[in-house]
Amino acid sequence: MFAIEKPLPRPTEDTAPYWDAAQRGELRMQRCGDCGHVRFPPSLLCARCLSEEHEWVKLSGRGTVFSWIVVHQSQHPAFNADTPYNVTIVELEEGPRLHTQLVDCANDQIRIGMAVEVVFDKINDEVTLPKFRLLR
Amino acid sequence: MANLNGKYAVVGVGTSRFGKLQGVSTMGFTLEASKRAIADAGIARDAIDGVLVMMPAIMGEQHGWAARVAAYLGIEPTFSATLDMGGATACGSVQTAMAAIDAGYCTAVLCCFATQNWPQGVAMQLFGSDFQVPYGDVGAITLMAHIKRRQQYEHGFTDEHYGKIAVTWREHAMRNPDAQMKKPITLDDYLKSRWVAEPLRLFDCCPNTDGGGACIVTSLERARDLAKPPARILGAGQSHSSEMIHPHGYDREHWGGKPAAALAFGLAGVTPKDIDVAQFYDAFTPRVIHDLVAYGFCQPDEVGGFIHGGNLSLTGSLPSNTAGGLISEGHLSGFGHIREGVRQIRGECGARQVKDAELCLVTGYGGAPHEAPPTVSYSALVLGR
Repeated sequence: MFAIEKPLPRPTEDTAPYWDAAQRGELRMQRCGDCGHVRFPPSLLCARCLSEEHEWVKLSGRGTVFSWIVVHQSQHPAFNADTPYNVTIVELEEGPRLHTQLVDCANDQIRIGMAVEVVFDKINDEVTLPKFRLLR
Repeated sequence: MANLNGKYAVVGVGTSRFGKLQGVSTMGFTLEASKRAIADAGIARDAIDGVLVMMPAIMGEQHGWAARVAAYLGIEPTFSATLDMGGATACGSVQTAMAAIDAGYCTAVLCCFATQNWPQGVAMQLFGSDFQVPYGDVGAITLMAHIKRRQQYEHGFTDEHYGKIAVTWREHAMRNPDAQMKKPITLDDYLKSRWVAEPLRLFDCCPNTDGGGACIVTSLERARDLAKPPARILGAGQSHSSEMIHPHGYDREHWGGKPAAALAFGLAGVTPKDIDVAQFYDAFTPRVIHDLVAYGFCQPDEVGGFIHGGNLSLTGSLPSNTAGGLISEGHLSGFGHIREGVRQIRGECGARQVKDAELCLVTGYGGAPHEAPPTVSYSALVLGR
């Protein structure tokens, strides 16, 4: 049978360090070498001061739930079988927010402000997706 | 800065057939709507020397889109552009048309769009970024669900507030023969409607719509010679910002669209209290709550009571989305709102006409809510007699 595969990240020069770190079990983002702002999504330059100097720093992996939704009607056929599934925005301790998924937690138990920590979901030999669970 | 207040007018409006219409091309809808707007204006086709077209949502490799629309219409414009602000393009293209005419680039501008949700001969590309799509976070609807979640969390809106918007729009659509959704609904129907992306219910969402829309902008001077009373463009504004994920920082007080509102009302020299009728960009109900605050009609803690009190209905203090909005008339990317705003100003709206409608606010919203960072454009027009 013809199966529609889930779309996966296609790393670029700008984003590869993020995905490479995830494969190693680390959450890394760019910290500006001039103003210290930690930015996301990855970018050639700092949106606060336009500096290109940066370092890919390892983050604590801890944060809180900023928002969550539960998709009941998938907008892509590859996710139809997963419904209902959550999409959660996590605000990290270091500031940035990212779209992700909360695992090991029933959808109706999720609340804004919950403390969460990163876990790594290995999809295949090339791709690992950062996800989150309740802080243990 | 040049004072454009009232110098220009929307003189013609039109929509194509719209609904679930697979098989009609994006170009076909665009031409049909444009021809109807030209006829509505009573302007000579050859008098149009500016063409602004919204980039189709499903684009593929369609280079030179606006110039091709012009070619199919037999026009060789001296000013043309394909604009890429999604649902903010309609109001934004009218604003751009004014500026272009004022600069002397052209004298009469056709602004138009079309969407075919299942286009033939176009390479389908999945929307969205590597930081969202792999999580099943696909399309505009997920960001809007997050916006509803944050609105409810921060300001305590109940589902009844959102439901009242959907029910009110449906009542308006029942007075619009062109609307797609004309079956009456109750608040209870809304509350029982299924989750699409919780907390968004089915009746929070507009229907996917195949169709097109258009309008014509020219100087007030030339407008006086045309078929119908002009809708003067008194104010216009736009602003662009990221939502939820801000690469520059994480301001909890961010409320997108406020600069667009200040520019539009400032140019018009009016305040929200002066507005007689409004068309809020409502692909989803949370947008209406957002605009009521961003455009200064209510403080966040007043919105619930304002909606509950029936103020958005035809007999309320701020009759809004009088054709049924995107939610009940159909997703015409804001061109439906411009058409309805112009018709209200002209007094053409029959059973849904707002008495003494002299000032109409039209808002737009769109862009790339499905990208990283989610980035949207806000646009607005103040139209008047």
